[in-house]
Amino acid sequence: MMQGKTHPSATTEVMLRARAAGLDLAASRFPEDIAAAAEEAARARDDMPAIEDVAAEPWPPMCVRGAP
Amino acid sequence: MTDLHWLTATEIAAAYASRELSPVEAVKASLDRISAHDSRINAFLKVDGEAAIAAARTAEKEIRAGRVRGPLHGVPVGIKDIIDMAGECTTCHSRILLDRVAREDAPVIGRLRAAGAIVLGKLALHEFAIGGPSFDLPFPPARNPWNADHHPGGSSSGSAAALAAGFLPLALGTDTGGSVRHPAGACGVIGLKPTYGLVSRRGVFPLSFTLDHVGPMARSVRDIASALDVIAGHDAGDPGSAAGTHGDYGADIERGARGLRIGYVRHFHTTDAAADPEVGAALDEVARVLGTEGANVRDVTLPRLQELSGVQRVIMQAESWAIHDRWLRERPGDYGRTTRIRIAAGAFLSAADYVHAQQHRTRMIAAVDDVFRDVDVLLVANSLDPACRIDDAEAIARTFPRQARAPFNVTGHPALSMMSGLSAQGLPLSVQFVGRFHDERTLLRVGAAYERASGWHTKRAPGYA
Repeated sequence: MMQGKTHPSATTEVMLRARAAGLDLAASRFPEDIAAAAEEAARARDDMPAIEDVAAEPWPPMCVRGAP
Repeated sequence: MTDLHWLTATEIAAAYASRELSPVEAVKASLDRISAHDSRINAFLKVDGEAAIAAARTAEKEIRAGRVRGPLHGVPVGIKDIIDMAGECTTCHSRILLDRVAREDAPVIGRLRAAGAIVLGKLALHEFAIGGPSFDLPFPPARNPWNADHHPGGSSSGSAAALAAGFLPLALGTDTGGSVRHPAGACGVIGLKPTYGLVSRRGVFPLSFTLDHVGPMARSVRDIASALDVIAGHDAGDPGSAAGTHGDYGADIERGARGLRIGYVRHFHTTDAAADPEVGAALDEVARVLGTEGANVRDVTLPRLQELSGVQRVIMQAESWAIHDRWLRERPGDYGRTTRIRIAAGAFLSAADYVHAQQHRTRMIAAVDDVFRDVDVLLVANSLDPACRIDDAEAIARTFPRQARAPFNVTGHPALSMMSGLSAQGLPLSVQFVGRFHDERTLLRVGAAYERASGWHTKRAPGYA
């Protein structure tokens, strides 16, 4: 996170996506925070490896195991 | 009794049994200590002394009459203010929920009360268990008793700070990416994230449904076991609750580490990310100590830390956005800045990102389970850095992702963090042990062996002795 810094990305594309998500108020009042949020999401996504098997089963989202 | 405030829950129960101490005396001593010292560390958001003393009187009568409910009967506990207690606000340390009064106790609170534990009050946290330490919230952030200028870890900050200051012997925290284990490590106490689903999450305000856990925090491994015996159990009202439990989690605590196979996940803090040298040296020393205790310590390999962490963050961002999107749209200014940034991140992820993270998760669970075919417990870094200053926003932002806890929220394996040394600055360093699903017994066995051999649990924060 780059709190307190100016985010050149706090512009068109990020703001358009923020507004599409309904974050108009946040985008107008806290544009740097919205830009930082977009960067956080991008970093998390980039840290994930590519999916090798698109048909891999993701369900259930968390495996709850009973005690043995 | 001397040093009353450093007694463990187990020692308090023994003192009640021998009539050296009564619940009313113990609760009054805790309340006095909180009153004298909490303005330095802000561990509590609310203390309910009247209710605690009333409960202590009831416990005293029952214990004196021989109706002892168990090892937590009459023991003071504190609750992270994200867990519902009937008639009390669950603020989540946020303006958003300042007036939200819980209608009933969360099942985990009900279990504690049924066991006779005495709730002293609600403890500070990072806003909604994700945004902190922050100075733009309705309450100040908790501070580290070892040095009040430093971060106490989070998000269960107040729980760990209260334990390290000797306010109480037992507290509850919650853990979505390490929020029990981080503050436990930073404050030199012990925290357990149990197996996913072992402890009910109902009545706990969610951060991320498939990553959230509730866990006990204490100053001794034995107390962690006693607390888990009480709070673990199936809850039909929690769809993430596991069926059946072991119980008697402290059964193997005295057996020592001899013969156990410990897998050292060294690559997390050497090649995947470079830990602070003091942290790395302390982890090597933990491996050495367990070796001298008779454990067979060997290096093992898990998926890369960065990949595990990325999966955890995508899931957390997506699920927390789903919970907060309406409030963030309508009341963005009512969140602290850190929370606003971390939760709004979810608005920039796609549905495919979330599904891909869950696909990776399935593979990662299998990879960790594979390693457990050859070892009994993993030795893993906790934080990769000692606690930074609480007012250094840049250091907090830099160190926030430098941790090895989140992988086990992704996989759901139980994980215990505890003190492993002191930095040159006099701040606690920590280690994490990870067990097989539902094998908290062996996990606590290793923790107890290390506790006895290292003696770190006897160290006290300066100024609180």
